[in-house]
Amino acid sequence: MFARLTGGKVLTDEDLKPILATMKEHLMKKNVAKDIADRVCDGVGKNLVGKKIGGFTSIKSSFQEALGASLTQILTPKTSTDVMQAIRTKLASPLSSTSVRSPYTMAFVGVNGVGKSTNLSKVCFWLIQNRLKVLIAACDTFRSGAVEQLRVHVRNLSMLTNDSPDLNRGSVELYEKGYGKDAAGIAKEAIAYAKENEFDVVLIDTAGRMQDNEPLMKALAKLVAINTPDKIIFVGEALVGNEAVDQLTKFDRALRDFSAAGSGGSIKGRGIDGMLVTKWDTVDDKVGAALSMTYVTGQPILFVGCGQTYTDLKQLRVANVVDALLAD
Amino acid sequence: MVLADLGRKLNSALSQFSRVSSVDQEALDALLKEICAALLESDVNVKLVSSLRQKVKAKVKAALDTGADKGREGQRKNIVQKAIFDELVHLVDPGVEPYKPRKGYPNVIMAVGLQGNGKTTTCTKLAVHYQKRGFKSCIVCADTFRAGAFDQTRQSATKAKVAYFGSYTETDPVSIAAQGVEKFKKERFDVIIVDTSGRHKQESELFQEMVQISEAVKPDMTVLVLDASIGQAAEAQSRAFKDSADFGAIIVTKMDGHAKGGGAISAVAATKTPIIFLGVGEHLADLDKFAPQPFISKLLGMGDVQGLMEH
Ligand SMILES: Nc1nc2c(ncn2[C@@H]2O[C@H](COP(=O)(O)OP(=O)(O)OP(=O)(O)O)[C@@H](O)[C@H]2O)c(=O)[nH]1
Ligand SMILES: Nc1nc2c(ncn2[C@@H]2O[C@H](COP(=O)(O)OP(=O)(O)OP(=O)(O)O)[C@@H](O)[C@H]2O)c(=O)[nH]1
Ligand SMILES: [Mg+2]
Ligand SMILES: [Mg+2]
Repeated sequence: MFARLTGGKVLTDEDLKPILATMKEHLMKKNVAKDIADRVCDGVGKNLVGKKIGGFTSIKSSFQEALGASLTQILTPKTSTDVMQAIRTKLASPLSSTSVRSPYTMAFVGVNGVGKSTNLSKVCFWLIQNRLKVLIAACDTFRSGAVEQLRVHVRNLSMLTNDSPDLNRGSVELYEKGYGKDAAGIAKEAIAYAKENEFDVVLIDTAGRMQDNEPLMKALAKLVAINTPDKIIFVGEALVGNEAVDQLTKFDRALRDFSAAGSGGSIKGRGIDGMLVTKWDTVDDKVGAALSMTYVTGQPILFVGCGQTYTDLKQLRVANVVDALLAD
Repeated sequence: MVLADLGRKLNSALSQFSRVSSVDQEALDALLKEICAALLESDVNVKLVSSLRQKVKAKVKAALDTGADKGREGQRKNIVQKAIFDELVHLVDPGVEPYKPRKGYPNVIMAVGLQGNGKTTTCTKLAVHYQKRGFKSCIVCADTFRAGAFDQTRQSATKAKVAYFGSYTETDPVSIAAQGVEKFKKERFDVIIVDTSGRHKQESELFQEMVQISEAVKPDMTVLVLDASIGQAAEAQSRAFKDSADFGAIIVTKMDGHAKGGGAISAVAATKTPIIFLGVGEHLADLDKFAPQPFISKLLGMGDVQGLMEH
């Protein structure tokens, strides 16, 4: 019914109303959060009102075209997603003769069970392949088996490196202090250990936590404030629905507010630097969470986790995501 | 409180409706618009929400058609409110009785679900729950895939003082599951809980493995463990699990967060399977019993709904 020809007419609110409703519902079916679907479609609609469309173009196809452009714009990273470049730059920066080089540090944060530890291990594999010396800091001192989980990954990854004939390969080691200890302190010790022993990168695994759990969010902010990681990566799953918005808003805000507190406002709190979207392989074309996440933060998706093995880590392909979101 | 947000929205829509002077199509549409928006924001399946809208409309049509009659506005409001209440209950109540473990019999419960949704944690919580009620309970770790899986079970079962079985060296989950269940049956345990690896419908081999474990342990009840934050993928995933594992109950986890569990609720409708517990935290006692009607009344902030139900 929307496909009728509208021979070079000027679009009005009334013309767009039905298509807006259809497209909002369409995006929600693709697992875009309701609020985001509403805002994106309303934005596209507003831009189209008063525009004249060609004689052979239906309202629907003009809308879809404009929507595609808008989705592309939202999903396209505004800052660099080249993590390797960032690492190399830090490691190559000149030092004064007395100072010791600090490692590049990344903290993986997010709610429970989304895939932080697993994808941290995948990132580690990628770093090792790039000949870097990596230290994993086991800062989930709460969940049963969290330390052993990382130990198994470190063992597997070490075996993969040893099996390789290439002598210039990187390496990995685990820094752990068991359970029940203060995560921020362990991260600090790990970074100091990495500095002494000339590690290139420290990957900090943190315990999963709910975004409304204030004591746990404060503890995470403390870890960030004390250790100022080079990258704070929010790990979220492609399966998440409307919660994507709340999770990201609150993680970002809690990190900023609580990590700035105590500095008397002199230090600006640190928020999330980028996202890692996991379980991409479980949602078919319902990839809307990626849109919700980028819309909320304006930060880039640095990696996509698409399986349970070390090689299942990809870069986001914006065009593919837009196609999936628009596909019937 | 669990679901406070959704409850507030539904409640405000209903109380706004209760103040309208005339119950007409316009008032009904406004009410349904708010209710449906609240459900969509809670991740209830998009198709399910539009079907709820249609059903409520159909149910109250006769009452609306009687035309304006001031004396009967109150009654008409009740009809609309009850139709909505019933449809909300219907969302979480498939009308099927879940399996009830009985004493002196080895009740085998198998947990299945997507990766990271809370199976392992919930298995220990369940064991603690039944143990407290006098069932001798234990856990079999049939996850040979996830790094550190057996350590996780070992540590949490030890904390909970529950017997457990697993292996660091055996790589076949079917064999471990069978061994564990046989051992605990011999030892006359009442509740034997089998934990399995996370899996998803896109990998058919993982689903075959689940079917094989199920054939080996012949569970009396299979439970789908589902994360409250899941969005629109819930329907397809839960249907696929139903087809392969024929689970008889759902446990929704992580309800202590902000998530409203609408995706999990959609899984109930898609698979006609009841929710039996809610996971409400990371600690062993964080498990709440679930019943559809009290759940919805609590959600809507209605103390006693019995009155409403008997109309
Ligand atoms: N299918 C699929 N599964 C994944 C992916 N990433 C992680 N997983 C699985 O998700 C489950 C949870 O992963 P973890 O890495 O333990 O998650 P976490 O966020 O560290 O969990 P907590 O530390 O308990 O909060 C595991 O079974 C992983 O194998 C992915 O990209 N695809
Ligand atoms: N806040 C909260 N966290 C929970 C709840 N249930 C489980 N978790 C957490 O969710 C994460 C994943 O739980 P697991 O029990 O390891 O999940 P799983 O389904 O066994 O994961 P796989 O075996 O990897 O598929 C852990 O961090 C748990 O502590 C809950 O009800 N509330
Ligand atoms: Mg972890
Ligand atoms: Mg598990």
